[in-house]
Amino acid sequence: MSRLLQRRFLCSRGSSNSNKNSNQQQWKVKQVTKSNFSEALEEIKKHIQDSDFIAVSSQKSGAFSAPWRRVLPFDTPETAYCKAKDAAEKFQLFQFAVCPFSIKESKVIAFPYNFHLFPRDELNIGMPAYSFSCQTSYLTSMAREGFDFNVCIYDGISYLSRVQESSAKDRIGNPISRIHPVKSSLAQSVADSVFLERTRSRVRHWINACKDPIPKKGTDDALIKSLRKLILGEMFGSRPCMSIDICSERQVELVLEMLNEFSDLIGLIIPDKSGGPKAVRVVLTSSEEDKKLLERELENIEEEENKRVRGFREVIDAVSVSQKPIVAYNCLNELTFIHSKFLAPLPQSMSEFMCSLRFAFPCILDVNHLLKEIGPLKKAKNLPAAMSYLKRQFFAPLDMEIPHQGFSEQEHEGKNHGHNVLRITHLFAKLCLILKVTRDSNETVNDDLNNAMESYANNFNPFCTSVQEPIDGEGMVWMDNTRKVSTEDLAFLWGFRSGMSAGVLKSIFRGSHDVFSEDFEVRLVDKSCAIVVFWTPGSAKVLLNVLGSGAVGSDGLTEMISEGLRGAGYELYKRICRLGLWESDLAESLDRALEEPIPDVLGADSTKDLSEIYWSNDVIKLEDL
Amino acid sequence: MKKVPIGRASALVRHGTSFTCRSFCSATSTFSLKKVTKTNFDSALEDLRGHVRDADFVSIDLEMTGVTSAPWRESFEFDRYDVRYLKVKDSAEKFAVVQFGVCPFRWDASKESFVAHPHNFYVFPRKELPFDGPSYEFLCQTTSIDFLAKYQFDFNACIHEGISYLSRTQEAEAWRHFNLEYEDDLSKEVRDIPLISTVDVLFTERVKNRFREWRDGLLRNTNVGSQFEGNSNDSKQKFQTVFFKMRPALTLKGFTSHQMRLIQLVIRQQFKDLAYVCVYGEDFVEQKLVVYTDSEDDKHLLMQEVKDGLHKEAERKIKAAVGFRHVIDLLSSERKLLIGHNCFLDIAHIYSKFFAPLPSAVEEFVSSFHKKFPYIVDTKHLLRTNNAIQNLMKKHSTSLSSAFAHLCPEIACVAKGSTLPHLSYLKVEVQVDDMRSSNWNSGAKHEAGYDAFMTGCVFAQACSRMGIDFKLYSPSTVLAYNEKLQKHMNLLYLSWNIGAVIDLSSGKVTPESSGFYFNKRRYPEVVFQNIVLFWGFPSKLKPRELRECIAKVFGPDSVTAIYYLDKTASFIQFSKEEFVTGFLVLKETLERNNDPISVLHPLSKLLEGGHTHAAKYEVYKEICSSAISRILFADQANSVCIKLREELDTQELVSSSEISEAGNSISSFVAKSESKSTKSNDVLNDPSYRHFSCDEMNDALYIIKSQLGKQTKNAKL
Repeated sequence: MSRLLQRRFLCSRGSSNSNKNSNQQQWKVKQVTKSNFSEALEEIKKHIQDSDFIAVSSQKSGAFSAPWRRVLPFDTPETAYCKAKDAAEKFQLFQFAVCPFSIKESKVIAFPYNFHLFPRDELNIGMPAYSFSCQTSYLTSMAREGFDFNVCIYDGISYLSRVQESSAKDRIGNPISRIHPVKSSLAQSVADSVFLERTRSRVRHWINACKDPIPKKGTDDALIKSLRKLILGEMFGSRPCMSIDICSERQVELVLEMLNEFSDLIGLIIPDKSGGPKAVRVVLTSSEEDKKLLERELENIEEEENKRVRGFREVIDAVSVSQKPIVAYNCLNELTFIHSKFLAPLPQSMSEFMCSLRFAFPCILDVNHLLKEIGPLKKAKNLPAAMSYLKRQFFAPLDMEIPHQGFSEQEHEGKNHGHNVLRITHLFAKLCLILKVTRDSNETVNDDLNNAMESYANNFNPFCTSVQEPIDGEGMVWMDNTRKVSTEDLAFLWGFRSGMSAGVLKSIFRGSHDVFSEDFEVRLVDKSCAIVVFWTPGSAKVLLNVLGSGAVGSDGLTEMISEGLRGAGYELYKRICRLGLWESDLAESLDRALEEPIPDVLGADSTKDLSEIYWSNDVIKLEDL
Repeated sequence: MKKVPIGRASALVRHGTSFTCRSFCSATSTFSLKKVTKTNFDSALEDLRGHVRDADFVSIDLEMTGVTSAPWRESFEFDRYDVRYLKVKDSAEKFAVVQFGVCPFRWDASKESFVAHPHNFYVFPRKELPFDGPSYEFLCQTTSIDFLAKYQFDFNACIHEGISYLSRTQEAEAWRHFNLEYEDDLSKEVRDIPLISTVDVLFTERVKNRFREWRDGLLRNTNVGSQFEGNSNDSKQKFQTVFFKMRPALTLKGFTSHQMRLIQLVIRQQFKDLAYVCVYGEDFVEQKLVVYTDSEDDKHLLMQEVKDGLHKEAERKIKAAVGFRHVIDLLSSERKLLIGHNCFLDIAHIYSKFFAPLPSAVEEFVSSFHKKFPYIVDTKHLLRTNNAIQNLMKKHSTSLSSAFAHLCPEIACVAKGSTLPHLSYLKVEVQVDDMRSSNWNSGAKHEAGYDAFMTGCVFAQACSRMGIDFKLYSPSTVLAYNEKLQKHMNLLYLSWNIGAVIDLSSGKVTPESSGFYFNKRRYPEVVFQNIVLFWGFPSKLKPRELRECIAKVFGPDSVTAIYYLDKTASFIQFSKEEFVTGFLVLKETLERNNDPISVLHPLSKLLEGGHTHAAKYEVYKEICSSAISRILFADQANSVCIKLREELDTQELVSSSEISEAGNSISSFVAKSESKSTKSNDVLNDPSYRHFSCDEMNDALYIIKSQLGKQTKNAKL
């Protein structure tokens, strides 16, 4: 398939780079904060329904805590996931841009929104986040781009994840209306029927008392009213109501079922602090019409309450419900954040994560992955680079239309954030044109094209740098051609003199032992640790055995061992990632992992581990960056 | 912010009332205090030097991005002083200081008033030096950030404009790094690179010819520059003749680092009279040059000059990167009396941010800190332990804003009715740049500069109440030596809710001396060796049930107190130490045996779920010292204790007596393979940490009250 596509775009390769719509400065992104969230939510829900794709992009409080904790070219999907998971759990989202868009021939119609977020504890329940980390270099570079932290912290929209919401609901203790109770399937016990009969007569008496007209005797009116109130119970709004104490879920069912006998009653479940039901509040309505009215009222109350509790997650839910394809750049990173902040805590393994993610978002398109289809673009490190390459090499005129750009100008003047989402949209549309994969405009999806899309969907490409990741230290530079290496042929070495470069290390290693007589490569992972790639299978094992036994001899390697050189295979690295032994230097983490015996606690994991070793995909691609 | 979250609500209320009071004041000047960011830092620092030198004391206050990294890291009444320090240490290491208030106070004898210079420094730990230092990262506590936002804290000013800093350790590291690099650049010879590729050979030849041509041109004609440039249109971009330290030179531009190495090699091997140098130009951009020298001596001279230049450049850069620490160095070198309000956390921040990483023992920390700051007075300690002031405060809260309102009503602009007319108040005049006012109130509470100002005012008034007469004061008197102050000197609250006071000069921890708070203690005396740390039990277990379960086994009076850290972790204080051992052993036996008798045992109710652990108090310290901070204590304990458990497994703890011997014993040796995934789910699924229902609280109190009653009865007998 990909070869076919390549041929196809070879044909369309042109030299024109004229693109009159390339001026991104004019594109306006609607900025959304607490104050205009409600209206924006209604709008975007509509746009999400109407569009073909939804691009997302977010601004975070940091990306990684140490150079080696970035996703590196030698990471397997599993270790890459562990790193992404750690980052998603630590750092916070400050902005989340959502852009529903449609591609109609060579025209893109986009509705970009940028939501400012802050994990404010709106409900005073210690959620959504007790604390979060900030990476100073990240904040500094955001500041340089004119990021407004005050808007974010003062007016950012809060949120709760789905899991947090379900645990919060109980604690907020709002009445839950269950208008259509489930029919109880269990047969009634004696205790049940006694309880039911007692309650039924209580309710009946109460209704009669309520419907009894108030005797008109001017002077005692106030007294009688208050006495009645005492007997009849509280009011629910303007309607009389009474509470029935409950000891179990079972009794709730019974009471609700019993209430169905009365045409003008509505039951509300009052939860206690720990989430279990405490009472059923029975509200008396005056007529069938009034009952409908109350039901609608209750629905509205619940809606409002949900909006308050879920906050920004309403948008994520709308995206999820629409089942539209999600378009993102650096998907692993983006979606671990989405999962951890808006859905549920991240699971332990990548496969569980993908599973759980697929429930919410069945189709995810990674722009990085699409870029791979165009050979030379593998080199493009970031969005602008990829874009300018496409502009140079392909003739694919594209119109960007942003219908709502006019009215975003009043708010947050001069602060036009969230442009990345438009860049992603633009790049994606362009790639679609070039690769000739697009959805038919009238929603009848052509099978072929659908298949093409499918082949791109849900394929995360973990090896990529983020859009604006601060570059520090020396990057990983691999050889020109991509070669597949089994993780068994990799070894981590540390404990050498600090400040040595990869080149120096390689020249020292060469000739220090027979293992290094064959072809091998050395790269620094961070300043404390190097990774060695052997092109001869089995060499890594030999080296590690030598390091482990502290072999005798007069060669250079022995000398280095005596000076503190240590080594470990890829398995240890995997364990570090899985256990989260995150230290600031990889060498420290490796040392710690060596010290700690494999804990029993992970017994369950170790079996899974074995399968990983023989997993054929467990090879890494060493690419030039 | 330091009083989050309990103190916060009251502070908010008070803030509201003081606003209404302020309207009674007519003649308040409201110019803002001195805001210092990186743009005006240098000039502000120079001014501050003078003010601090002349000052009688300097008050300080810090605003941080948070206080506790997990709910269970809050200060508990069951915290031993060393545990308390570990919690403070964790806080200081994880959170950032975003605002630093410094306010020097000077007694003006002619006006008979104090002159205060409130400064508000915006601080942000930016990475100013290019090399690979630690990746700076800090934690934000959501409630604290939200609290700062409520008081209009300007986060943009802080992040865009905040002054960065290096600690002394970091500065030393920077110098070490610079020296290393510097040696690389100068002394260390370029390694010979074998010219393998033809490209390299060609390149070497080409530059060799180019340099020779240029050098020969110089020798032939004194007016070289223009001539050479005329000759070489093709490489104008890459070679440009300039003058460097009075010598003709070529700037090298647009070469790769590999080519640069080749050039260096060529110069060294082929040209005795040319020198390759790397310097920083006017705009601090790295510049590489080939310089012509007359002689070998001249070459040496040049290299020395370059070396000095680089050194100066590094000095300038590092000095700039030291940034805000200059203020700390100033306070330390002037040995002035420092005033803070409940400032133990503040000084821990100061030490870890501006000096060195915090030591693991509190004694070591206070003695190092004391060497740097010999005189420090905590106004909280002053207010709570001095009788004269206690009478004046009339048992009002000793929070900063409350103390300020009561001790300095004129400055605080409290409505006239509440002031005590028979008392004379010290006057405090405020000076910011050229503006002066004797009736100043910026009103910006919880702004570090203003809080520092309030602290200083409270201290001055307190001094006057204690009978220190500033009017009899000569400029040579040092306030720090005043004998009336000595009984408060260097005494700080480690934690004021446990009433532990630490003496910075000796490192001794003593209980609070005044009886003011002691009577109010809700808990019986804490005996640490009688305490069991118990965690991972079912979250629905109420304190009363927990107590009943244990009482069934060990007798009705066996439990002195129960304190919940969060909903699945608690301290159980037994009445006798042997119960601790007994409990640990019993728990372990029950877990090992699964027979019906064990199942019916009263304690098995506590072990439901199979995640329950128990340990002695020492393990709590171990857990607190960990750098990890999980939200739920049970998760924290489990992640810290994986290692401990391993150690214990190897010890083959069979006999029960050994278990009790092992100081760090965790009684859950029976390796239960709780899978990690369920654990991490628990953290987030169950975030109801620290939210007890009223019932639960009442239960806890009930237990304690009843026990207290018994104890007092016993005592009377």
